[in-house]
Amino acid sequence: MISDYELIMRFIKGEQSCFEKLIHRHKNKVFAYISLYIRDQALAEDIFQDTFLKVIQSVKAGKYSDNGKFLSWVMRIAHNLIIDHFRRLKQMNTISNDNYESDLFNSKRFAEDNVEDDMIKKQIHQDVRKMISHLPDDQREVVILRHYAGLSFREIADITDVSINTALGRMRYALINMRKLIEEKNISLTLN
Amino acid sequence: MNNKIYPRAVFKEIENMKPMAFNSTPFILYQDIKVEDIDIFEDAWGFNSEFNDVIDFLGKVKVVPGQSLTKTLIEKIRKQV
Repeated sequence: MISDYELIMRFIKGEQSCFEKLIHRHKNKVFAYISLYIRDQALAEDIFQDTFLKVIQSVKAGKYSDNGKFLSWVMRIAHNLIIDHFRRLKQMNTISNDNYESDLFNSKRFAEDNVEDDMIKKQIHQDVRKMISHLPDDQREVVILRHYAGLSFREIADITDVSINTALGRMRYALINMRKLIEEKNISLTLN
Repeated sequence: MNNKIYPRAVFKEIENMKPMAFNSTPFILYQDIKVEDIDIFEDAWGFNSEFNDVIDFLGKVKVVPGQSLTKTLIEKIRKQV
């Protein structure tokens, strides 16, 4: 498989399709991070697009230096865009992130499942989403970056500007909190 | 005389014993230990063993961008480039 760095180099030399390959390679992780964090589907889609457009601008401006962590770099850009968004909201003193509600999982289709299985899966998706949304911001971010973006704790620590131990501690609290929520809400952890 | 002190079974076991190399767990080289895709910090904190139920639950969700969103993004990029 061609490395991310090689694809970027080829893109810089004019092979446009190489950047499209990068998008297809990493889009799921980037989108999962943004949409689970932002919650508002339309806004998440905007930030998703802005992230890759900003990546292109930065690559063209020669701001990307390869250290074998292209995805981590993209995530940092997405993280900064999300922070910018919340700063703007705060300045405008408008609605909070909690007021958004949308069908986050509508892009996942279960064509082969019957209606009952589909409903159960949707219920589990809603439960997982609710569980994540109940976490404090810093814990939620670590959970999403680790389990949906697939980043290592070293990368998570870099992106969120904390030590590795702090990131690990946040994850531990998040897992404890989620287990409590599962017990309190009596959520079933398996498909029946 | 010794049979009374040591049960027969013990002797039998010793008789059946083989040199360690034949039946013990073989040594593995450091290079043989699979560490790819394992976060050593996470491993050290033992999240996967302690919270496997919660982690499995998280894994039931797959969030993916719709095809139209990806298509729109690629079109935007083509225009920009």
